[in-house]
Amino acid sequence: MNVTIFLLALFDGVSYAALVFIVALGLTLIFGVMRILNVAHGSLYAIGAYATVSLTGFALSMGAAPILAFPLMLISAVLVGLLIGGPIEVLLLRRIYNKPEVLQLLVTFAVFMILEDVQRLVWGTQPYFQSAVLQSLGNITVLGVTYTVYQLILLPLVAVALLLGLRFFLRHTLNGKLILATTEDREAAQSIGIDADRVFLLTFIVGAILAGLGGALASPTTSILPGMGADMIVLSFAVVATAGLGQIEGAALTALMIGLGRSFAIYFWPEIAVLVPYLIMVLVLLVRPEGLFGSPAARKI
Amino acid sequence: MLQLKSLDASIGIIPILRGVDISLQAAETVALIGRNGAGKTTVLRTIMGFTKVTRGEILFEGAPVTALHPPKRPALGIGYAPEDRRLFSAFTVEENILLPAQAAGLDKGETRRRLERAYHILPELKAMTDRPGGAVSGGQGKMVALARALMLGTKLIMLDEPFQGLAPALAQRYAEALRTLRDTDRSVTLIITESNPALLRGFADRTLVIERGEVAAGTLDAERTPA
Repeated sequence: MNVTIFLLALFDGVSYAALVFIVALGLTLIFGVMRILNVAHGSLYAIGAYATVSLTGFALSMGAAPILAFPLMLISAVLVGLLIGGPIEVLLLRRIYNKPEVLQLLVTFAVFMILEDVQRLVWGTQPYFQSAVLQSLGNITVLGVTYTVYQLILLPLVAVALLLGLRFFLRHTLNGKLILATTEDREAAQSIGIDADRVFLLTFIVGAILAGLGGALASPTTSILPGMGADMIVLSFAVVATAGLGQIEGAALTALMIGLGRSFAIYFWPEIAVLVPYLIMVLVLLVRPEGLFGSPAARKI
Repeated sequence: MLQLKSLDASIGIIPILRGVDISLQAAETVALIGRNGAGKTTVLRTIMGFTKVTRGEILFEGAPVTALHPPKRPALGIGYAPEDRRLFSAFTVEENILLPAQAAGLDKGETRRRLERAYHILPELKAMTDRPGGAVSGGQGKMVALARALMLGTKLIMLDEPFQGLAPALAQRYAEALRTLRDTDRSVTLIITESNPALLRGFADRTLVIERGEVAAGTLDAERTPA
């Protein structure tokens, strides 16, 4: 195997896995706590990307330095979480927690369809591309392979930081503890004074911010165009299902598996590249229907 | 201090309680006796706000709480230990006990003071503070659940079948802990459900009997005397 191609596939896979993981993290957090599979998560990802491109484009046209894109990414993600995620939870999901899963799935799918058209309405159908920030961090050369620092170092670092940060948040902060308690037993949590409604809202907003952040971070590396949300929800669902729904650490590993599997397929067997994530998912679920790290009953997150 | 006035309550669409009238005085200990399925747990869950009240009202210290958001009720001074313990397995024993105080936003000093009170009443818990909540035995779990209820239960403590499934030695200990609670805190109101009236004899000031969702006062007195 040619070392250069091997390295390229490796780097592609790692940087892609980092992005997918960030999105999957929000999806699996929401599922773990609220038992809702949020199909609209893909739209939040896409809108995070669109918002970043618009904000960055505006800032650059005002003469701002490209490095300013980083705070704008964060702002976009938080806006997506608060302005879109918040209302989705309060106005829709809150009414259906005790309803059958099929209905919950249909409702979040409906939100996804609505938001897809909202994107076309606001941003049109032509692709956007805004990669100034990608170049601002420069390149790095490893064994003769040149790659952007943004994709090879920053994205994986952010992904790992978010994983550790979320773990810390859940285990060591009061809000995290309230989330864990509500996840385990909603009524018992309420009977010691935990406001489960507030906990669910907080969880959904955090999850939505992660989706938006995934989109914001992806925006310099890809064309922003209709349909990107659909691609991402399917892929991040594959990651989450392979790991076991609600498994935060597991999702990191399966994101890496699926990211690397996909990128190596692109270089060595391109015909099946799009299939690889789902092949991995199917193979894992055939052997372990509860996912690699899921246990049939036990803990949820 | 707590009044349920001609209360009807249902779970989902199934009516459980019918015309329940209960009035608790401050500082009294009341036994709520009834067979399995009679509605004991539903009375407590209704006071906590987990059922649908279709008629009547609940007054706590004179103020209506019938429609009060359930998670706001513990902060009124109500501690509740559900029948099946329901500890949080992700946390240690001490974290389980502390959580209500943290959720209520009590300051460090007050939390400490209440934790000391709980440990004073249940000193055996001090030996297992770091054990995971999911790894204690059923009986120990009941003690932890009592300690957890003590953290916010400054006015009213509701214990749902606390003796259910306890080994005799542990049941003795539990009853002892309740006596210590009574001795250290004369103002708190206690309501304890039980299917076996003999267990609370001599401890409760008053016995209420619940039968098919309806409450009658002290009608078990006749059964009380022999055994």
